[in-house]
Amino acid sequence: MNFRRYVARRLLIGAGQVLIVATLVFLIVEALPGDAAVALAGDDPDPDRIERIRSMMGLDRSVPERLGEWLWGLPYLDFGVSVVSQRPVAEFLAEGLEPTLVLATLTLLLLVPLSLLLGVVAATREGGLFDRVVTAVSVSLHAIPEFALAILLVALFGVGLRWFPPTAIGVNGDLLSRPAVLVMPLLVLLARPICSISRLVRAGMIDALASGYVRHMSRLGLSTRRVRLAHALPNALAPAVQQIARTVDWLLGGVIVVEAVFVIPGLGTTLVDAVAGRDLPVIQGLAVVFATTTVLVNLVADVVAFRLAPRVGGAG
Amino acid sequence: MRSMLRYSIGGTLVVGPLLLAVTGPWFVPDTLTRGAPFTSGGGHRLGTDFVGRDVWHQVLLGGRALVLIAVISTAMSYLVGIVWALSAAMSRRRWLDEVLMRPLDILLAVPSLLILILVAGIAQRGELTLVLIVALINLPEVVRISRAAALEIASRPALEAMRLQGETWWRIAVGYVCRSMLRILAADVGTRLTTSLYLVASASFLGVGVPPDAGDWAVMVDRNRAGLFLTPWGVVVPTLLIMALIVGLNLTFDRVMSTRQEVRW
Repeated sequence: MNFRRYVARRLLIGAGQVLIVATLVFLIVEALPGDAAVALAGDDPDPDRIERIRSMMGLDRSVPERLGEWLWGLPYLDFGVSVVSQRPVAEFLAEGLEPTLVLATLTLLLLVPLSLLLGVVAATREGGLFDRVVTAVSVSLHAIPEFALAILLVALFGVGLRWFPPTAIGVNGDLLSRPAVLVMPLLVLLARPICSISRLVRAGMIDALASGYVRHMSRLGLSTRRVRLAHALPNALAPAVQQIARTVDWLLGGVIVVEAVFVIPGLGTTLVDAVAGRDLPVIQGLAVVFATTTVLVNLVADVVAFRLAPRVGGAG
Repeated sequence: MRSMLRYSIGGTLVVGPLLLAVTGPWFVPDTLTRGAPFTSGGGHRLGTDFVGRDVWHQVLLGGRALVLIAVISTAMSYLVGIVWALSAAMSRRRWLDEVLMRPLDILLAVPSLLILILVAGIAQRGELTLVLIVALINLPEVVRISRAAALEIASRPALEAMRLQGETWWRIAVGYVCRSMLRILAADVGTRLTTSLYLVASASFLGVGVPPDAGDWAVMVDRNRAGLFLTPWGVVVPTLLIMALIVGLNLTFDRVMSTRQEVRW
């Protein structure tokens, strides 16, 4: 399949996925007993009052009408209004975005080179001590819940040894102003994905190194380094790139937990707060943002993987 | 010898927390005493927690729900997933396969912890809700793997022979394909189980789907965090138990997986 057609097809599928997820989220929330008006009435659940709030918020209109309006607003970043604070949901999202983006970007920036390095080195010394240690550690670590690792780090380095601040309280979301705050959250976020990706790079690299074309390259007299990095690595990377995209799922889960443990006011905290306060419009907005991000990252990864090794993407 | 060693490391790590989780509740005295919150010593082996309960008793009580929810939800996702996959793979109608498989792609597009928080946040609190959500999150992967396995088995000559003999769909699907699938799926159980444990523990930690003072290792970690400066045991002990359980499970199942020469997580 040619590259442009592949990208166009993936874009179309991605847009469809986001649209369906957004519709589903809206309908699930709609199907719940007790709508936003009931939540807003709070301690004073007087039927008249609920009815007034309902008509004020336009909740007395039909479901398809409101669904259409909501979906129509999404491209314009209009996610509705919070029922708890009456502020636009978009404001909530914009506020939480920065710390989360900082965490996610830094994690990815460290994750890719580190896991590549570990995977390639382990593969070139297959069966050696380094390889065995990396494999054993990654098998053990990759399923540890982020909160357990985070709490252990806090207990050890935050409270016991006092090397790093145990939480980000007082930094007010401007994480980059105090890098010491970031050390433990980043360690926690990196732990799980680094295990899975380095293992995948290792497996891909071992396969590639054993293949006919690499042996042919060596016979042609190309240097070992050139064969490994310029010819074997790109082929080993395609599955790893797709795995990186899939770890965005983990990254997001990790971000939610890490923000809760280290008290960072990002999107994860916004979500947990919104769920606790049953602030349905905010939950809907966040769900759409998270689903869009996941779809987008997967799309980019598929396209990159297609570029690196066209046969991988073409099959799907 | 080395494989024996790795089995035993994984095994020992699992057995301790698992025994504690399953049998723990039987060793808790009927009358529980309460002291001041976050004290250490004073008749309490591991000190007291955020409301003055004995940490050791809470540790004994707190594992069972975690393990049970993870195991039941995993079993449930397999039960539904295998039937789902069989219907998709063994059907002669292409459109049925599409109809069954496409919705799962959408489910895969949403991050799992997000599904968990969303549904738990708006559904009723309780163990059953948590079981259902975790089963739902595991479902797409189980169906995909089962379907791939079923398709491979369905193309075997043995199956063609059975069809020619005039065996019923039911006997072919359940008696042959399903039984052959189980062997392939067994290698994947470990991953599903640790994923479930991870999800249940993380959800409990975030306070999603469980009462705030529940006797649960993950909830203990969350609630006793405030007293980390005063007494670490209420936090560190349950954290280590959860870690040992998951790492041990992983190491044990990795031995099973590694015979298949595949990396797939």
